[in-house]
Amino acid sequence: MKRILLLILLLSAFPTIAQKLEGVVTYDRTQDYVKIMSRMSFLSLDQKERMKATNKNYSSRPTQMVLYFNEDQSLYTNADEYWRSEDGRWSYRNSDYTIRRDFKQETKSDVIEMLGKTYIIEDSLPTPKWKILNQLKDIAGHICMKAETEDPVKEQKVVAWFAQDIPVSAGPEQYYGLPGLILELDLNDGDVVVTATKIELRDVAKELTANKKIKGKKIKTSDYDKIVKDHIQSSMKAQENPYWSIRY
Amino acid sequence: MKNLLLLLLLLAGCSTAFAQSPRFTIRGSIADTNKAVLPGATVMLLTPKDSALVNFGRTNDKGAFEFRNVKRAPYILKVSYVGFLPLQKEVDPGDGDVTDLGTLEIKPIQKELLEVVVKTARAPLSIRGDTIEYNASSFKVPAGSTVEELLKRLPGVQVDQDGNIKAQGEDVKKVTVDGKTFFGTDPKLATKNLPAEAIDKIQIFNDKTEAAKTTGIDDGKREKAVNLALKESHKRGGFGKVTAGAGTKDRFQLRGNYNRFNTKEQMSVLGFGNNINQTGLSWDDYQDFRGSQSFNWEDQGDFGFYSGGMYFFGGDDGMGVPLTGGYSSNRGFSRNYAGGANYNYDTKKTKLSSNYFYNQTGQTLSSTSNKQTFLPEGTFVTISGNSQGSFTRNHRGSARYEQQLDSLNTLVLIGNLRANSGNNAQFSNQNFYRAADTSQTNLDNRNNFNGLQLATTAIFRHKFLKKGRNFAASVAFNLNDSDGTAKQRSTNTFFTDSTGAGPTVVRINQDVTNSSLRTELKSSLHYIEPLTKTMFWETFYNFSLRNDKVDRDVFDLTDQGAVRNRNLSRYYTNDYTYNRVGTVLRYSDKGFNISGGLAGVWYKLAGRFASDQSATTFTNVSRQYFTVAPNFSGNYRLKNKSMGLYYNVNIQQPQTSQLQPGVVDNSNPRFIQEGNPGLLPSLTHNLNGSFSSFNPGNFVNYYLSLNYGYNINQIVYNQTIDENLITTSRPENISGGTRVGSYLNFGFPLKKTKATLNLGSSLNFNKNPIYINTVLNDTRSDNYNFRVNLDLTLFDKFTLYPYFNWGITDTRYSINSSQNQKIYNHNYGGAMNIQFPGGIFFNGQMNYQIYKLKNERFPFTQKLPILNLAVYKQFLKDNKAEVRLTAYDVFNKNRGITQQAYQNFVQKEEVQTLAQYFMLSVSYNVRGLKSQMRQNNGW
Repeated sequence: MKRILLLILLLSAFPTIAQKLEGVVTYDRTQDYVKIMSRMSFLSLDQKERMKATNKNYSSRPTQMVLYFNEDQSLYTNADEYWRSEDGRWSYRNSDYTIRRDFKQETKSDVIEMLGKTYIIEDSLPTPKWKILNQLKDIAGHICMKAETEDPVKEQKVVAWFAQDIPVSAGPEQYYGLPGLILELDLNDGDVVVTATKIELRDVAKELTANKKIKGKKIKTSDYDKIVKDHIQSSMKAQENPYWSIRY
Repeated sequence: MKNLLLLLLLLAGCSTAFAQSPRFTIRGSIADTNKAVLPGATVMLLTPKDSALVNFGRTNDKGAFEFRNVKRAPYILKVSYVGFLPLQKEVDPGDGDVTDLGTLEIKPIQKELLEVVVKTARAPLSIRGDTIEYNASSFKVPAGSTVEELLKRLPGVQVDQDGNIKAQGEDVKKVTVDGKTFFGTDPKLATKNLPAEAIDKIQIFNDKTEAAKTTGIDDGKREKAVNLALKESHKRGGFGKVTAGAGTKDRFQLRGNYNRFNTKEQMSVLGFGNNINQTGLSWDDYQDFRGSQSFNWEDQGDFGFYSGGMYFFGGDDGMGVPLTGGYSSNRGFSRNYAGGANYNYDTKKTKLSSNYFYNQTGQTLSSTSNKQTFLPEGTFVTISGNSQGSFTRNHRGSARYEQQLDSLNTLVLIGNLRANSGNNAQFSNQNFYRAADTSQTNLDNRNNFNGLQLATTAIFRHKFLKKGRNFAASVAFNLNDSDGTAKQRSTNTFFTDSTGAGPTVVRINQDVTNSSLRTELKSSLHYIEPLTKTMFWETFYNFSLRNDKVDRDVFDLTDQGAVRNRNLSRYYTNDYTYNRVGTVLRYSDKGFNISGGLAGVWYKLAGRFASDQSATTFTNVSRQYFTVAPNFSGNYRLKNKSMGLYYNVNIQQPQTSQLQPGVVDNSNPRFIQEGNPGLLPSLTHNLNGSFSSFNPGNFVNYYLSLNYGYNINQIVYNQTIDENLITTSRPENISGGTRVGSYLNFGFPLKKTKATLNLGSSLNFNKNPIYINTVLNDTRSDNYNFRVNLDLTLFDKFTLYPYFNWGITDTRYSINSSQNQKIYNHNYGGAMNIQFPGGIFFNGQMNYQIYKLKNERFPFTQKLPILNLAVYKQFLKDNKAEVRLTAYDVFNKNRGITQQAYQNFVQKEEVQTLAQYFMLSVSYNVRGLKSQMRQNNGW
């Protein structure tokens, strides 16, 4: 709906702005396990505080993610298929996570590996309900404005910082739909922070159209939401952290 | 839905003919303060209620924008453009079809402000209506500055000589701290007194006048106000907990700790006292005590193969705070007191931790044992009764300092000191039976000891600019000084009357003084070179110089006074030099992590000994040893599976006491321990394979591991037993011992999240060679273990964890197959938790042990039911307090019985220990107590 309005707006009122805007953003995705564990309702305050105090001096290493975008499409995925430790002693395969968006067709095609399975979610594209706030911040040399929404399934507070000067709707993880490219995403006050480290404007038609065949179970957005919701509920009931086996 | 909306849209378009259409159009244009149009500005339409984004667009090349056919409602129009302050404009829908907002001017962001925002990347600048928020960390001020200095640096803020503040040209009338007035109304009080480093954010805004606030009538006047938001680090916290309990049979326990902390510092004190055999801290208490310094993973200065497998001299055993997991020991009765204090200071660059800990344990132990020893020519039985009283105390101090010198260099300094002392008194009655041949020994030994241990390490780590290239060096100095005296009294009666003169009686009446000093200087180097993104080459070098100096003087107390026993007295020094050079090649990619390496180990011992340090002639001992130790580790990780294969050679140096020439310990005259200066390091080839799988979808998991070990120069205690049944044991090297083992676990949910079944087995087959009276005996011990565990959490208020363990050990002796035996050890039991109404909880733990020994001579069966129960109630806000009634060993059956089958003997020992008692305890925890309905499943 909003897309259509925008489309009408763009097509009718401002036919002159037709500058081609495309490129690739590299993000650092940092997950704060201690903060996430602190949200587990089955832990007592004593346990949470002890865990925080013990782990005070440790921080998790970020995982690199990439976002290819143009005005109509975006593709967000792991920068490297494998995670590697800095000292070269460990590597393991990152779970498949490919988020494909088509703003023009209003469709999505996501590959998400979770709970030991690979799911392919192909559906129409719902837009998050964003609120625009009055804060400015610089991320990777771009002045960004703050926007907020929430994830009704995972019950997360989502803060996005979108660039004023890159007018595309794309964004990291499964978020998009702001007047500018999302350069930073903050889930639940720092539990997970995805920050752009490098923005490169170049031709990415090849990356956007590349179609790697991945086998998986085809489901709809509503099925995906239900799987996630059920898993969170049953894990919490079994007093286990649900986010060991699904993405935060 | 989309079509419907389109339809609505079309309808909206068609319905313009009506008086007031439900849709309207908003248009306008954007310009800067110099009336220059701004093309490409972002224009957003928000709802006034919650700033929800309804629509957005961008201005065209004329700076114009238009939102067509939007729902007729009030909006907020928000304009954002790089370099300009965002503009908000309320849009009144009016009655017309088009609302033209005309030209909207946006103001540029002050240049300094923009630079602050741009340069200090992580600092958001908030513009909330009238409020501008600054992040204090964006403005550098010298250490120790006041808030005034900080304010002077803010764009648009001036502070005059008297400290009066002006913001955007207006006087600041009020300064608040976290929204509260700071000591009166003079704004300068806060700005001149508060340290700048305490401030997180500075908010400058227009506040209603005091008059308006008190009268409640808004006079429309606004005055500038500043709010200072304090940093989290300057918010302090404290917590503590205490438990006190008293029980039947004079049982008691006391435990408490208190902590104070902010983000940089943590100070804690802890103490406990009890007579329920708890000698150390639980994990929770330990973590509360040590805080951020509980675990330091990189403090090992002996660099080597990553997978470990290399034992290096020394070790800091017993140097740290005693940590027993809070379990009660099952031997004797002990009364324990301990207490200490810990201080941590942590910043990103500097981490400092220091603590002091004292503990003492007084223990009484009385035991009986029945032991059968096999000799090539027969067996004999020893029945003994023992009673022992001991007291030990330890003072421990430790400090650790870590400094990040710069982004590439880190220095870690660690120092641990322990001073211990104690005494021990032992009375024992031992009866030996072999056919008609019997003898008896009664002994009364007392000793005192004092010791001082010091362990220090310095580690320097350097990262090169080239990613992955690393260098580390370490130096360590350890010292162990111990002194002791002992009184050895015994009467040995041999009833075999071969001469007809009646039983032979041998009395031993000796005083012994022992003093030993060990010093060690170590150093290690480590270098990692990245060959490619996935290949790494590592080199390490270890060096150690160790010196042992031991003086043992034994005096026979005779009618003529103390006479030095030249055979048993000994003075010796040993110098060890140890060198190891190793190299490793590692590959890690696509889930494969493989490393292979080789180390060359060179070891030299130069010792000299005599019966006394004043002796003119010393005997020299010299041993050299060189070996090459390979190492391999490989693992492969798939989606939900992983497998690994590991091979290493474990080299273990002989201990100081094992290398002592002559008699090391004759405190038990029937069991004399000798040393062996000719011992070589023992070498074990270990091979390990594992496979594991976990399916996070259905929670089915299995784990299988196999291991194999082959010993070369294993240090075993060979025994010679003379005709009087006096055993002399001497450590010697022997090769050929093997170990084969497997471990299997299979777990799956019977009903997801409610019932889980775990099945497991471990099978171990060991072969241990030993010489008994110069005859080689191979002891083969086959051990079969099977487990079934159930987690039943069917209801929130009732949980049950039953288990069933079956164990069989089949032991066979090559020198005496008539002694072959089977030991059956089965355990059935479980834990149960119930929550009753009124916040009352019940916990029950049962273990039923069935023990069966099957051999030709001593068949034996024993059944021990041990039941522990607890009822507790939590109360006060957040469950801060708890009353608990515990019944320990309800059936009064706990006997501390152990049964062991070793190389050439089987022994059953029964130690009196804590049995039935009841205890009432009260706990208080500032952070609240948790009712434990479920077993911790390793969240």
